[in-house]
Amino acid sequence: MDCKDIEQQIVDYLDGQLPVETSQKIKSHITTCDDCQVVYKETKSLFLAFSKVEEEQPSDNLRHEFYKLLEEEKQLQNDKVVELSKPEKDFPWKQAFQIAASILFMIGGYLLGSHNSKQMASHEISALQKQTIELREDMMLAMIENQSPSKRIQAVNFTESFVKPDTKILEALIQRMEYDGNMNVRLAAAEALSEFPESSIVKDAFIAALTTQKDPSLQIAIIQFLVKIQEKRAIAPMQQLLEHSDTPDFVKEQVNSGISQII
Amino acid sequence: MLDVSRGNLDAMAHIFERYNKRLYNFFYQMIKDKDVCEDMTQTVFYKVMRYRSSYKGGQFVSWIFKIARNVFSDQYQKSKKTLNNENLELIAHKNGESKEERNDDVAHLHNALNTLNSQDRELIVLNRFQGIKYDKIAEIVGSSEGAVKVKVHRIMKKLKTVYLETI
Repeated sequence: MDCKDIEQQIVDYLDGQLPVETSQKIKSHITTCDDCQVVYKETKSLFLAFSKVEEEQPSDNLRHEFYKLLEEEKQLQNDKVVELSKPEKDFPWKQAFQIAASILFMIGGYLLGSHNSKQMASHEISALQKQTIELREDMMLAMIENQSPSKRIQAVNFTESFVKPDTKILEALIQRMEYDGNMNVRLAAAEALSEFPESSIVKDAFIAALTTQKDPSLQIAIIQFLVKIQEKRAIAPMQQLLEHSDTPDFVKEQVNSGISQII
Repeated sequence: MLDVSRGNLDAMAHIFERYNKRLYNFFYQMIKDKDVCEDMTQTVFYKVMRYRSSYKGGQFVSWIFKIARNVFSDQYQKSKKTLNNENLELIAHKNGESKEERNDDVAHLHNALNTLNSQDRELIVLNRFQGIKYDKIAEIVGSSEGAVKVKVHRIMKKLKTVYLETI
Protein backbone atom coordinates (compact mmCIF):
# COMPACT_ATOMS: atom_id res chain seq x y z
CA MET A 1 0.00 0.00 0.00
CA ASP A 2 1.82 3.10 -1.20
CA CYS A 3 0.77 6.72 -1.59
CA LYS A 4 -0.16 6.32 -5.26
CA ASP A 5 -2.63 3.56 -4.40
CA ILE A 6 -4.15 5.76 -1.76
CA GLU A 7 -4.63 8.63 -4.16
CA GLN A 8 -6.38 6.33 -6.62
CA GLN A 9 -8.62 4.77 -4.07
CA ILE A 10 -9.42 7.70 -1.87
CA VAL A 11 -12.74 8.40 -3.52
CA ASP A 12 -13.96 4.88 -3.05
CA TYR A 13 -12.56 4.87 0.43
CA LEU A 14 -14.59 7.91 1.36
CA ASP A 15 -17.60 6.42 -0.30
CA GLY A 16 -17.14 3.29 1.77
CA GLN A 17 -17.05 1.23 -1.40
CA LEU A 18 -13.91 -0.70 -0.58
CA PRO A 19 -13.62 -4.10 1.07
CA VAL A 20 -13.08 -3.89 4.84
CA GLU A 21 -9.52 -5.17 4.57
CA THR A 22 -8.44 -2.56 1.99
CA SER A 23 -10.32 0.12 3.84
CA GLN A 24 -8.46 -0.63 7.07
CA LYS A 25 -5.11 -0.63 5.29
CA ILE A 26 -5.82 2.83 3.86
CA LYS A 27 -7.00 4.08 7.22
CA SER A 28 -3.82 2.97 8.93
CA HIS A 29 -1.73 4.41 6.11
CA ILE A 30 -3.42 7.79 6.26
CA THR A 31 -2.73 8.11 9.99
CA THR A 32 0.98 7.52 9.40
CA CYS A 33 1.56 9.31 6.06
CA ASP A 34 1.31 13.12 6.13
CA ASP A 35 0.99 13.49 2.36
CA CYS A 36 -1.88 11.12 2.23
CA GLN A 37 -3.40 12.81 5.21
CA VAL A 38 -3.52 15.99 3.10
CA VAL A 39 -5.03 14.20 0.14
CA TYR A 40 -7.62 12.65 2.42
CA LYS A 41 -8.56 15.99 3.98
CA GLU A 42 -8.74 17.80 0.65
CA THR A 43 -10.90 15.14 -0.89
CA LYS A 44 -13.10 15.13 2.14
CA SER A 45 -13.62 18.87 1.88
CA LEU A 46 -14.60 18.42 -1.76
CA PHE A 47 -17.05 15.75 -0.71
CA LEU A 48 -18.42 18.10 1.88
CA ALA A 49 -19.01 20.71 -0.78
CA PHE A 50 -20.85 18.13 -2.83
CA SER A 51 -22.98 17.20 0.14
CA LYS A 52 -23.85 20.83 0.67
CA VAL A 53 -25.40 21.13 -2.74
CA GLU A 54 -29.08 21.11 -2.12
CA GLU A 55 -31.46 19.20 -4.25
CA GLU A 56 -33.52 21.43 -6.43
CA GLN A 57 -37.24 21.08 -6.29
CA PRO A 58 -38.98 21.04 -9.67
CA SER A 59 -42.06 23.25 -9.85
CA ASP A 60 -45.57 21.89 -9.59
CA ASN A 61 -45.90 22.62 -13.26
CA LEU A 62 -43.79 19.55 -14.03
CA ARG A 63 -46.11 17.26 -12.11
CA HIS A 64 -49.17 18.93 -13.57
CA GLU A 65 -47.87 18.58 -17.11
CA PHE A 66 -46.87 14.98 -16.54
CA TYR A 67 -50.30 13.87 -15.38
CA LYS A 68 -51.88 15.65 -18.29
CA LEU A 69 -49.54 13.74 -20.58
CA LEU A 70 -50.33 10.48 -18.80
CA GLU A 71 -54.05 10.99 -19.30
CA GLU A 72 -53.52 11.69 -22.99
CA GLU A 73 -51.42 8.58 -23.31
CA LYS A 74 -54.07 6.52 -21.53
CA GLN A 75 -56.68 7.83 -23.90
CA LEU A 76 -54.45 6.95 -26.79
CA GLN A 77 -53.93 3.47 -25.38
CA ASN A 78 -57.68 2.96 -25.01
CA ASP A 79 -58.18 4.07 -28.57
CA LYS A 80 -55.48 1.70 -29.59
CA VAL A 81 -57.17 -1.14 -27.75
CA VAL A 82 -60.33 -0.47 -29.67
CA GLU A 83 -58.81 0.17 -33.05
CA LEU A 84 -55.62 -1.79 -33.21
CA SER A 85 -55.36 -4.59 -30.71
CA LYS A 86 -58.44 -6.36 -31.97
CA PRO A 87 -57.32 -6.95 -35.51
CA GLU A 88 -53.80 -7.58 -34.27
CA LYS A 89 -54.49 -10.14 -31.59
CA ASP A 90 -57.82 -11.72 -32.43
CA PHE A 91 -58.53 -13.85 -35.37
CA PRO A 92 -59.34 -11.42 -38.22
CA TRP A 93 -63.03 -12.28 -38.28
CA LYS A 94 -64.01 -9.37 -40.45
CA GLN A 95 -61.47 -10.21 -43.10
CA ALA A 96 -62.27 -13.90 -42.91
CA PHE A 97 -65.94 -13.11 -43.27
CA GLN A 98 -65.25 -10.94 -46.28
CA ILE A 99 -63.23 -13.67 -47.94
CA ALA A 100 -65.82 -16.31 -47.07
CA ALA A 101 -68.57 -14.10 -48.41
CA SER A 102 -66.75 -13.47 -51.66
CA ILE A 103 -66.08 -17.19 -52.09
CA LEU A 104 -69.71 -17.98 -51.36
CA PHE A 105 -70.74 -15.30 -53.79
CA MET A 106 -68.56 -16.77 -56.49
CA ILE A 107 -69.78 -20.31 -55.89
CA GLY A 108 -73.33 -19.04 -55.72
CA GLY A 109 -72.89 -17.19 -58.98
CA TYR A 110 -71.35 -20.24 -60.62
CA LEU A 111 -74.10 -22.56 -59.38
CA LEU A 112 -76.83 -20.17 -60.37
CA GLY A 113 -75.33 -19.77 -63.80
CA SER A 114 -74.74 -23.46 -64.34
CA HIS A 115 -78.17 -24.31 -62.93
CA ASN A 116 -79.83 -21.86 -65.25
CA SER A 117 -77.91 -23.03 -68.27
CA LYS A 118 -78.45 -26.66 -67.28
CA GLN A 119 -82.14 -26.08 -66.88
CA MET A 120 -82.25 -24.27 -70.17
CA ALA A 121 -80.17 -26.98 -71.79
CA SER A 122 -82.33 -29.76 -70.39
CA HIS A 123 -85.40 -27.84 -71.47
CA GLU A 124 -83.96 -27.50 -74.91
CA ILE A 125 -82.86 -31.10 -75.05
CA SER A 126 -86.22 -32.43 -73.93
CA ALA A 127 -87.93 -30.12 -76.37
CA LEU A 128 -85.63 -31.31 -79.12
CA GLN A 129 -86.14 -34.93 -78.14
CA LYS A 130 -89.88 -34.42 -78.17
CA GLN A 131 -89.57 -32.76 -81.52
CA THR A 132 -87.54 -35.63 -82.98
CA ILE A 133 -90.02 -38.16 -81.66
CA GLU A 134 -92.89 -36.19 -83.10
CA LEU A 135 -90.99 -35.85 -86.32
CA ARG A 136 -90.32 -39.56 -86.42
CA GLU A 137 -93.90 -40.36 -85.63
CA ASP A 138 -95.07 -38.04 -88.34
CA MET A 139 -92.52 -39.47 -90.72
CA MET A 140 -93.52 -43.00 -89.78
CA LEU A 141 -97.18 -42.24 -90.26
CA ALA A 142 -96.43 -40.62 -93.59
CA MET A 143 -94.15 -43.39 -94.75
CA ILE A 144 -96.54 -46.11 -93.67
CA GLU A 145 -98.91 -44.93 -96.41
CA ASN A 146 -96.11 -45.14 -98.98
CA GLN A 147 -96.69 -47.20 -102.14
CA SER A 148 -93.39 -49.03 -101.85
CA PRO A 149 -93.68 -52.03 -99.51
CA SER A 150 -90.02 -51.71 -98.49
CA LYS A 151 -90.68 -48.08 -97.36
CA ARG A 152 -93.66 -49.29 -95.40
CA ILE A 153 -91.51 -51.98 -93.73
CA GLN A 154 -88.97 -49.29 -92.92
CA ALA A 155 -91.75 -47.19 -91.38
CA VAL A 156 -92.95 -50.15 -89.35
CA ASN A 157 -89.39 -50.75 -88.12
CA PHE A 158 -89.22 -47.12 -86.95
CA THR A 159 -91.58 -48.05 -84.15
CA GLU A 160 -88.80 -50.06 -82.50
CA SER A 161 -87.25 -46.80 -81.35
CA PHE A 162 -90.52 -45.71 -79.72
CA VAL A 163 -90.47 -46.69 -76.08
CA LYS A 164 -94.06 -45.79 -75.53
CA PRO A 165 -95.83 -45.06 -78.81
CA ASP A 166 -99.22 -43.35 -78.70
CA THR A 167 -102.44 -45.00 -79.91
CA LYS A 168 -102.17 -43.26 -83.26
CA ILE A 169 -98.97 -45.19 -84.02
CA LEU A 170 -100.37 -48.43 -82.68
CA GLU A 171 -103.54 -48.03 -84.74
CA ALA A 172 -101.48 -47.35 -87.83
CA LEU A 173 -99.45 -50.49 -87.19
CA ILE A 174 -102.57 -52.55 -86.52
CA GLN A 175 -104.03 -51.28 -89.76
CA ARG A 176 -100.84 -52.34 -91.58
CA MET A 177 -100.99 -55.78 -89.98
CA GLU A 178 -104.62 -56.28 -90.94
CA TYR A 179 -105.00 -54.65 -94.32
CA ASP A 180 -101.64 -54.15 -95.97
CA GLY A 181 -101.52 -55.69 -99.39
CA ASN A 182 -97.97 -56.92 -98.90
CA MET A 183 -97.60 -59.95 -96.67
CA ASN A 184 -94.10 -58.90 -95.59
CA VAL A 185 -95.40 -55.57 -94.36
CA ARG A 186 -98.15 -57.32 -92.42
CA LEU A 187 -95.57 -59.65 -90.87
CA ALA A 188 -93.27 -56.76 -89.96
CA ALA A 189 -96.21 -54.88 -88.42
CA ALA A 190 -97.15 -57.97 -86.42
CA GLU A 191 -93.54 -58.28 -85.17
CA ALA A 192 -93.45 -54.59 -84.29
CA LEU A 193 -96.77 -54.83 -82.44
CA SER A 194 -95.59 -57.87 -80.49
CA GLU A 195 -93.13 -55.48 -78.75
CA PHE A 196 -96.06 -53.86 -76.96
CA PRO A 197 -97.87 -56.72 -75.19
CA GLU A 198 -99.26 -54.47 -72.44
CA SER A 199 -101.45 -52.49 -74.81
CA SER A 200 -105.07 -53.74 -74.82
CA ILE A 201 -105.80 -52.53 -78.34
CA VAL A 202 -102.82 -54.52 -79.56
CA LYS A 203 -104.19 -57.64 -77.86
CA ASP A 204 -107.66 -57.09 -79.30
CA ALA A 205 -106.17 -56.54 -82.73
CA PHE A 206 -104.22 -59.78 -82.56
CA ILE A 207 -107.30 -61.74 -81.49
CA ALA A 208 -109.29 -60.21 -84.34
CA ALA A 209 -106.44 -60.82 -86.79
CA LEU A 210 -106.41 -64.47 -85.85
CA THR A 211 -109.74 -64.97 -87.59
CA THR A 212 -109.21 -62.62 -90.50
CA GLN A 213 -105.65 -63.42 -91.52
CA LYS A 214 -105.22 -66.22 -93.98
CA ASP A 215 -101.45 -66.18 -94.45
CA PRO A 216 -99.91 -69.07 -92.53
CA SER A 217 -96.68 -67.30 -91.50
CA LEU A 218 -98.66 -64.38 -90.12
CA GLN A 219 -101.03 -66.78 -88.39
CA ILE A 220 -98.07 -68.48 -86.72
CA ALA A 221 -96.61 -65.13 -85.62
CA ILE A 222 -100.00 -64.14 -84.17
CA ILE A 223 -100.39 -67.44 -82.36
CA GLN A 224 -96.87 -67.19 -80.91
CA PHE A 225 -97.59 -63.69 -79.63
CA LEU A 226 -100.93 -64.68 -78.07
CA VAL A 227 -99.40 -67.76 -76.47
CA LYS A 228 -96.56 -65.65 -75.10
CA ILE A 229 -98.94 -63.21 -73.45
CA GLN A 230 -101.16 -66.10 -72.25
CA GLU A 231 -104.27 -64.51 -73.79
CA LYS A 232 -107.23 -66.68 -72.80
CA ARG A 233 -109.60 -64.95 -75.17
CA ALA A 234 -107.51 -66.25 -78.06
CA ILE A 235 -108.55 -69.85 -77.39
CA ALA A 236 -111.96 -69.57 -79.12
CA PRO A 237 -110.67 -68.12 -82.42
CA MET A 238 -107.79 -70.58 -82.32
CA GLN A 239 -110.21 -73.51 -82.04
CA GLN A 240 -112.11 -72.04 -85.00
CA LEU A 241 -108.85 -72.14 -86.94
CA LEU A 242 -108.54 -75.83 -86.16
CA GLU A 243 -112.02 -76.49 -87.53
CA HIS A 244 -111.33 -74.42 -90.64
CA SER A 245 -110.49 -76.59 -93.64
CA ASP A 246 -108.24 -73.94 -95.23
CA THR A 247 -105.85 -73.91 -92.35
CA PRO A 248 -102.61 -75.68 -93.22
CA ASP A 249 -101.57 -78.59 -91.04
CA PHE A 250 -98.46 -76.97 -89.62
CA VAL A 251 -100.57 -74.00 -88.49
CA LYS A 252 -102.99 -76.39 -86.80
CA GLU A 253 -100.06 -78.03 -84.99
CA GLN A 254 -98.92 -74.62 -83.84
CA VAL A 255 -102.49 -73.88 -82.65
CA ASN A 256 -102.68 -77.16 -80.77
CA SER A 257 -99.40 -76.67 -78.92
CA GLY A 258 -100.44 -73.05 -78.33
CA ILE A 259 -103.74 -73.97 -76.74
CA SER A 260 -102.08 -76.52 -74.50
CA GLN A 261 -99.55 -73.87 -73.40
CA ILE A 262 -102.24 -71.26 -72.66
CA ILE A 263 -104.24 -73.72 -70.59
CA MET B 1 -41.53 -0.61 -15.05
CA LEU B 2 -42.19 -4.00 -16.55
CA ASP B 3 -45.81 -3.28 -15.68
CA VAL B 4 -45.65 -0.14 -17.77
CA SER B 5 -43.97 -1.86 -20.67
CA ARG B 6 -46.86 -4.36 -20.61
CA GLY B 7 -49.28 -1.51 -20.94
CA ASN B 8 -50.15 -0.62 -17.35
CA LEU B 9 -49.88 3.15 -17.53
CA ASP B 10 -50.94 3.63 -13.92
CA ALA B 11 -47.56 2.29 -12.90
CA MET B 12 -46.14 5.21 -14.84
CA ALA B 13 -47.29 7.53 -12.04
CA HIS B 14 -45.10 5.64 -9.55
CA ILE B 15 -42.16 6.00 -11.85
CA PHE B 16 -42.79 9.72 -12.13
CA GLU B 17 -42.97 10.15 -8.36
CA ARG B 18 -39.80 8.20 -7.85
CA TYR B 19 -37.68 9.75 -10.56
CA ASN B 20 -38.92 13.23 -11.43
CA LYS B 21 -36.81 14.97 -8.79
CA ARG B 22 -33.74 12.92 -9.61
CA LEU B 23 -33.95 13.58 -13.30
CA TYR B 24 -34.72 17.23 -12.80
CA ASN B 25 -31.66 17.58 -10.58
CA PHE B 26 -29.53 15.67 -13.05
CA PHE B 27 -30.44 18.21 -15.72
CA TYR B 28 -30.15 21.07 -13.30
CA GLN B 29 -26.62 20.09 -12.40
CA MET B 30 -25.80 19.98 -16.08
CA ILE B 31 -27.54 23.21 -17.08
CA LYS B 32 -28.75 25.60 -14.49
CA ASP B 33 -31.93 26.64 -16.22
CA LYS B 34 -35.08 25.63 -14.45
CA ASP B 35 -37.43 25.90 -17.40
CA VAL B 36 -35.18 23.97 -19.75
CA CYS B 37 -34.65 21.34 -17.06
CA GLU B 38 -38.35 20.93 -16.52
CA ASP B 39 -38.89 20.59 -20.25
CA MET B 40 -36.20 17.99 -20.51
CA THR B 41 -37.53 16.06 -17.50
CA GLN B 42 -40.96 16.08 -19.09
CA THR B 43 -39.48 14.87 -22.35
CA VAL B 44 -37.83 11.95 -20.54
CA PHE B 45 -41.15 10.80 -19.11
CA TYR B 46 -42.81 11.24 -22.45
CA LYS B 47 -40.17 9.05 -24.03
CA VAL B 48 -40.44 6.47 -21.27
CA MET B 49 -44.15 6.23 -22.07
CA ARG B 50 -43.64 6.20 -25.79
CA TYR B 51 -40.89 3.62 -25.86
CA ARG B 52 -42.09 1.62 -22.87
CA SER B 53 -42.32 -1.50 -24.97
CA SER B 54 -38.58 -1.30 -25.70
CA TYR B 55 -37.78 -1.79 -22.01
CA LYS B 56 -36.89 -5.46 -21.62
CA GLY B 57 -36.07 -5.68 -17.94
CA GLY B 58 -32.65 -4.98 -16.50
CA GLN B 59 -31.59 -1.95 -14.48
CA PHE B 60 -34.34 0.60 -14.77
CA VAL B 61 -32.14 3.39 -13.42
CA SER B 62 -29.71 2.78 -16.24
CA TRP B 63 -32.49 2.73 -18.78
CA ILE B 64 -34.14 5.96 -17.69
CA PHE B 65 -30.82 7.78 -17.36
CA LYS B 66 -29.84 6.59 -20.81
CA ILE B 67 -32.97 8.29 -22.08
CA ALA B 68 -32.21 11.37 -19.98
CA ARG B 69 -28.75 11.50 -21.45
CA ASN B 70 -30.12 11.36 -24.98
CA VAL B 71 -32.63 14.08 -24.19
CA PHE B 72 -29.85 16.20 -22.79
CA SER B 73 -27.57 15.76 -25.78
CA ASP B 74 -30.50 16.52 -28.12
CA GLN B 75 -31.19 19.69 -26.19
CA TYR B 76 -27.51 20.52 -26.14
CA GLN B 77 -27.22 20.10 -29.90
CA LYS B 78 -30.34 22.17 -30.44
CA SER B 79 -29.16 25.03 -28.28
CA LYS B 80 -25.79 24.89 -29.98
CA LYS B 81 -27.39 25.20 -33.39
CA THR B 82 -29.59 28.11 -32.45
CA LEU B 83 -26.55 29.82 -30.92
CA ASN B 84 -28.56 30.39 -27.82
CA ASN B 85 -26.25 28.16 -25.93
CA GLU B 86 -23.96 30.88 -24.70
CA ASN B 87 -26.81 33.10 -23.73
CA LEU B 88 -28.55 30.24 -22.04
CA GLU B 89 -25.49 29.22 -20.11
CA LEU B 90 -24.76 32.77 -19.18
CA ILE B 91 -28.20 33.27 -17.75
CA ALA B 92 -28.06 29.88 -16.18
CA HIS B 93 -24.82 30.55 -14.46
CA LYS B 94 -26.01 33.88 -13.25
CA ASN B 95 -29.11 32.30 -11.79
CA GLY B 96 -27.10 29.57 -10.21
CA GLU B 97 -24.49 31.84 -8.78
CA SER B 98 -26.86 34.36 -7.39
CA LYS B 99 -28.62 31.66 -5.49
CA GLU B 100 -25.56 29.87 -4.30
CA GLU B 101 -23.64 32.89 -3.15
CA ARG B 102 -25.00 32.16 0.25
CA ASN B 103 -22.80 29.12 0.38
CA ASP B 104 -19.19 29.65 -0.57
CA ASP B 105 -18.25 26.02 -0.71
CA VAL B 106 -21.03 25.23 -3.09
CA ALA B 107 -20.23 28.23 -5.26
CA HIS B 108 -16.61 27.13 -5.47
CA LEU B 109 -17.67 23.63 -6.33
CA HIS B 110 -19.82 24.90 -9.15
CA ASN B 111 -17.05 27.03 -10.46
CA ALA B 112 -14.84 24.01 -10.43
CA LEU B 113 -17.52 21.96 -12.18
CA ASN B 114 -17.82 24.63 -14.85
CA THR B 115 -14.24 24.03 -15.81
CA LEU B 116 -15.06 20.46 -16.81
CA ASN B 117 -16.23 19.51 -20.27
CA SER B 118 -19.77 18.20 -20.45
CA GLN B 119 -18.72 14.55 -20.67
CA ASP B 120 -16.64 14.72 -17.52
CA ARG B 121 -19.23 16.80 -15.82
CA GLU B 122 -21.87 14.23 -16.68
CA LEU B 123 -19.86 11.44 -15.07
CA ILE B 124 -19.38 13.48 -11.91
CA VAL B 125 -23.04 14.43 -11.77
CA LEU B 126 -24.14 10.83 -12.21
CA ASN B 127 -21.65 9.50 -9.69
CA ARG B 128 -21.47 12.21 -7.05
CA PHE B 129 -24.87 13.85 -7.17
CA GLN B 130 -27.01 10.97 -8.30
CA GLY B 131 -24.98 8.43 -6.35
CA ILE B 132 -25.02 5.96 -9.23
CA LYS B 133 -22.44 3.20 -9.00
CA TYR B 134 -19.75 2.67 -11.62
CA ASP B 135 -21.30 -0.42 -13.14
CA LYS B 136 -24.59 1.34 -13.80
CA ILE B 137 -22.88 4.45 -15.13
CA ALA B 138 -20.97 2.16 -17.48
CA GLU B 139 -24.31 0.85 -18.67
CA ILE B 140 -25.69 4.37 -19.13
CA VAL B 141 -22.77 5.81 -21.06
CA GLY B 142 -21.95 2.58 -22.84
CA SER B 143 -18.55 1.94 -21.33
CA SER B 144 -16.93 -0.58 -19.00
CA GLU B 145 -17.03 -0.37 -15.23
CA GLY B 146 -13.26 -0.19 -14.97
CA ALA B 147 -13.01 2.65 -17.48
CA VAL B 148 -15.70 4.63 -15.68
CA LYS B 149 -14.01 4.10 -12.35
CA VAL B 150 -10.63 5.30 -13.61
CA LYS B 151 -12.24 8.30 -15.32
CA VAL B 152 -14.19 9.33 -12.22
CA HIS B 153 -11.07 9.11 -10.11
CA ARG B 154 -9.11 11.19 -12.58
CA ILE B 155 -11.81 13.85 -12.82
CA MET B 156 -12.23 13.96 -9.08
CA LYS B 157 -8.53 14.64 -8.70
CA LYS B 158 -8.68 17.41 -11.25
CA LEU B 159 -11.81 18.82 -9.67
CA LYS B 160 -10.21 18.78 -6.26
CA THR B 161 -7.24 20.72 -7.54
CA VAL B 162 -9.41 23.38 -9.17
CA TYR B 163 -11.69 23.53 -6.16
CA LEU B 164 -8.84 24.03 -3.72
CA GLU B 165 -7.26 26.65 -5.95
CA THR B 166 -10.33 28.80 -5.86
CA ILE B 167 -10.76 28.60 -2.13
